[in-house]
Amino acid sequence: MTVGQRAADETTTPARGWGLNTWDSPWLNFKFLLGVAIVGLILLFGLLGPLFWDTDLAYTGAGPLNKPPVWQEGGLPEHPLGTESNGRDMLAQLILATPSSLKVGFLAAIIGMGIGMVLGSVAGYVGGWWDHVIRTLSDSAVTIPALVVLVVIASYVQMTDTTAMALILAAFAWPGPTRLVRSQILTLRERSYVRMAHLSGAPALEIMFVEMLPNMLPWLAASLTGGISVAILGATGLEVLGLGPTRVPSLGLIINQATTNAALVRGLVWWWLPPIIILMVIFVGFFLMTIGLDEIANPRIRQFSSTRRERTAAGELPAVEHAGLRGGEEEDAALEVDDLHVHYFTPRGEVIAANGVNFSVRKGEILGLVGESGCGKTTVAMAILQVVQAPGRIVQGEVRIEDQDLVSLSGKELREVRWRDLALVPQGAMNSLNPVTPIREQMADAILAHENVGRLEVEARILGLLNDVGLPERVIEIYPHELSGGMKQRDCIAMAIALNPQVIIADEPTSALDVVVQRVVAQTLLEVKERLGVSMVMIGHDMGLQAQLVDRIAVMYAGNLVEVAPVGSAFSEPLHPYTQLLIESIPSIKERKPLNVTEGLTHDLRNPPPGCIFQFRCQHVEQICRERRPELVEREDDHLVACWLYEPERHSLIELEEA
Amino acid sequence: MRGLTKEYVLQRFLMYLLTIWLGSTLIFVIPRLAPGDPVSEMVGRLSLDAGYIENADKLIESWKARFGLDAPIHVQYFRYWGNVFRLNFGYSLSHFPTEAWTMVSDALPWSLGLLTVATVLSFSIGVTIGSLMGWRRTPRWLQLILPSSLTFTAIPYFMFGIMLIYLVAFELDWLPATGAYSRRVDPGWNLPFIKNVLTHAILPVVSIVLTSMGGWALGMRGLMISVNNEDYFLLAQVKGLSPSRIFFRYGVRNAILPALTALALGLGGLISGSILVEFIFAYPGTGYTLYQAIISQDYTVTQAIANLIILVTATSVFLLDLLYPFIDPRITYKRNMR
Repeated sequence: MTVGQRAADETTTPARGWGLNTWDSPWLNFKFLLGVAIVGLILLFGLLGPLFWDTDLAYTGAGPLNKPPVWQEGGLPEHPLGTESNGRDMLAQLILATPSSLKVGFLAAIIGMGIGMVLGSVAGYVGGWWDHVIRTLSDSAVTIPALVVLVVIASYVQMTDTTAMALILAAFAWPGPTRLVRSQILTLRERSYVRMAHLSGAPALEIMFVEMLPNMLPWLAASLTGGISVAILGATGLEVLGLGPTRVPSLGLIINQATTNAALVRGLVWWWLPPIIILMVIFVGFFLMTIGLDEIANPRIRQFSSTRRERTAAGELPAVEHAGLRGGEEEDAALEVDDLHVHYFTPRGEVIAANGVNFSVRKGEILGLVGESGCGKTTVAMAILQVVQAPGRIVQGEVRIEDQDLVSLSGKELREVRWRDLALVPQGAMNSLNPVTPIREQMADAILAHENVGRLEVEARILGLLNDVGLPERVIEIYPHELSGGMKQRDCIAMAIALNPQVIIADEPTSALDVVVQRVVAQTLLEVKERLGVSMVMIGHDMGLQAQLVDRIAVMYAGNLVEVAPVGSAFSEPLHPYTQLLIESIPSIKERKPLNVTEGLTHDLRNPPPGCIFQFRCQHVEQICRERRPELVEREDDHLVACWLYEPERHSLIELEEA
Repeated sequence: MRGLTKEYVLQRFLMYLLTIWLGSTLIFVIPRLAPGDPVSEMVGRLSLDAGYIENADKLIESWKARFGLDAPIHVQYFRYWGNVFRLNFGYSLSHFPTEAWTMVSDALPWSLGLLTVATVLSFSIGVTIGSLMGWRRTPRWLQLILPSSLTFTAIPYFMFGIMLIYLVAFELDWLPATGAYSRRVDPGWNLPFIKNVLTHAILPVVSIVLTSMGGWALGMRGLMISVNNEDYFLLAQVKGLSPSRIFFRYGVRNAILPALTALALGLGGLISGSILVEFIFAYPGTGYTLYQAIISQDYTVTQAIANLIILVTATSVFLLDLLYPFIDPRITYKRNMR
């Protein structure tokens, strides 16, 4: 995915991509659909029941007293579910009671949702004083025990029908949706596609309905189904206490009559159990709908369950194939990456994020790993560190530090190597520090996990490390949110050098910082490297910064390394056409340059073409580039490139194949 | 700026007062919005029961005066607040010489005990299950077993309670069905009594815990999954920390914060639900007393209990709020997020 494409994706409403009638629509969630089916069946029972059964039997004296259901001894076929102490037919009662219980729930939840949407939109969209008042009100209303107030209300207001009860219940159903809508609007407002709509001058209501509502839909639906079951629960609670409408049959009222007539003690199971079973089925139905909708609304949960399913289906993770060919083992390498393949197993196919990556980092050297967003450089970093996140997986290759292959290590062995030999300066230092613990503890954590040292020594070492990166001593007792971005990044560097590792992976260490702070952080990194002689892999896309910092540079494109060269020759005479474009695009004060890199398209990473991966964007593409993949070969002194242009024999190679 | 700041405490305290004011005002306003007034209605019901009451109008007048219902509404409102502040709700109508407040304070310890135990249990069990469900390193056999603990989540407490009574108390005769203790034991700090109280509490507690822990587990699972994707969680792994340290200090420690907020907000619902549990188990707590007061038209006791429950709920929320900054150091900065 190119930079341009990614930006375009961000600015279109994601919900528009969700076809409701395609098979991979997120709405086709099993739990959600099962819940819909269950509630639908119950509803059908209530709606169609009167067509098949005489509901007049639901009134007092319609039949004999206390008859058990037909399958028990003494049961009568004309009262298949039995009768209770007033001679009322149970089946007829259930048929009448079920829809009225459902109706209260739907009505109350929908009214509550309506109020909540209006108040939440006002709070989230208008903001200011309105927001303050609405938020305060809903926050305190939500803590009032609703049923207590309901019970008090019900004891004064004689509720004649279910509508009155639904209205009263609705008075307690609005705070939840209000809070939800408000927070969703506040989040969505910051998304780029909503901002785009704003900038393009769309009216507020249109933005609300076209851009925001579709994205809130699963959340709102989850809140609605949750609200319905809470409302049914509230109504049933009142009915069970005998405080609901007494003239209309309802499931709660049947339970109330059963318990007040001691049906439990008298063993009249068929009196109290059926309404409870129907209610439980209703609650299970809405519960399934709610958690299904939660999964729809929150893709992380969906992804989490699906990766787990995949793992269970495939048994244990398949063993990694080890590369037979150890291409060019180097004597003085601190870190060797050998034929590394990382695939992401998505529902739409395998995405090849790293395709046979080979490189080594020499002792005391900084190797720059560059490429555009999405080219797989961060994936390579994560693979070196053995923290590729599901659904990604290292499918082949080795990562060696001191002849130890990290890919084949597991559990305790891997833990010992981590940080002691291989440390990370993370990409987002902003979020890389545990927000709830002070700096001292986070740094001590790293030291104490690997060394058995006393508290005082740890303290002294932390102070020393902070000093090394130019942070004041008071930082030790501070929480991460009290540090600036640059300070956090320097603290991460201090943490990375705590155990004097062999190799540090610096994943775009300066990308989120402003230019001045970038400089300070970059200098800190250089100083640290000079003093400790540590080897470093510096990942980034800023060619200018790379030029100043690194010794050698490795250029990555679409999961493949295309060029590895000393920084001098890489910048003075870049060989690969992609590297040439990258270097041409470095802005300069002296002349304005067009940005040529976005010309052409990247191929689909799930389905790489035969031949060279850069063929669609390359200006020098030839026949062989479309047919055979070029290998990374040393073409000049210490300068490796994967391109057919530098293969004098390329024409004969292709003829040979044809012959 | 860590821990409690003056501004934060003040803000939370205002919120506390607002909640109490809102709840109590509702309880004051609602009966007066209803057609007719409580006294006329009560006398009306009495006359229905007794057939005829002499001088019904005079009775209504004198009762109205007695309860201060003849005063203008704003005067009534101020008087009502004075009473709420002094916890003076007058005499119980159904148990006349007893004061309403006495009846309520007798019931309170039972409810508080039952609910505290049930809430602590369901919250801690639920959070543990949820954390394990949302953690990638949880052993697979555990991952397979854990979801079964959510079985009863969708069932309301009291229905589960009814079935427990039927199965465990009546059919199997293992545990007592109703009440807080048997008549045959001597109330006091003696071992048989404590044992008796505990056996009576098992069924109500179990019905609350089994049905409510799943909600906490589901919420915690979602939160834990989010934390799994945080940068600091990744860095903790790369640092080579032990899995248990990552799980507790980096995972649960962060994921539990919104769950605690939810606990504070959900207390109202929890206390509400307990009314039905107490009703089903005839457990002599505030909920059961409230039910009896309503059935016996005991206007003063109803008001006293409703106010008390609101007060207790608001106070617990306030206390949780005061604890929060010690658990989340960022709270004084991002208080507007809630």
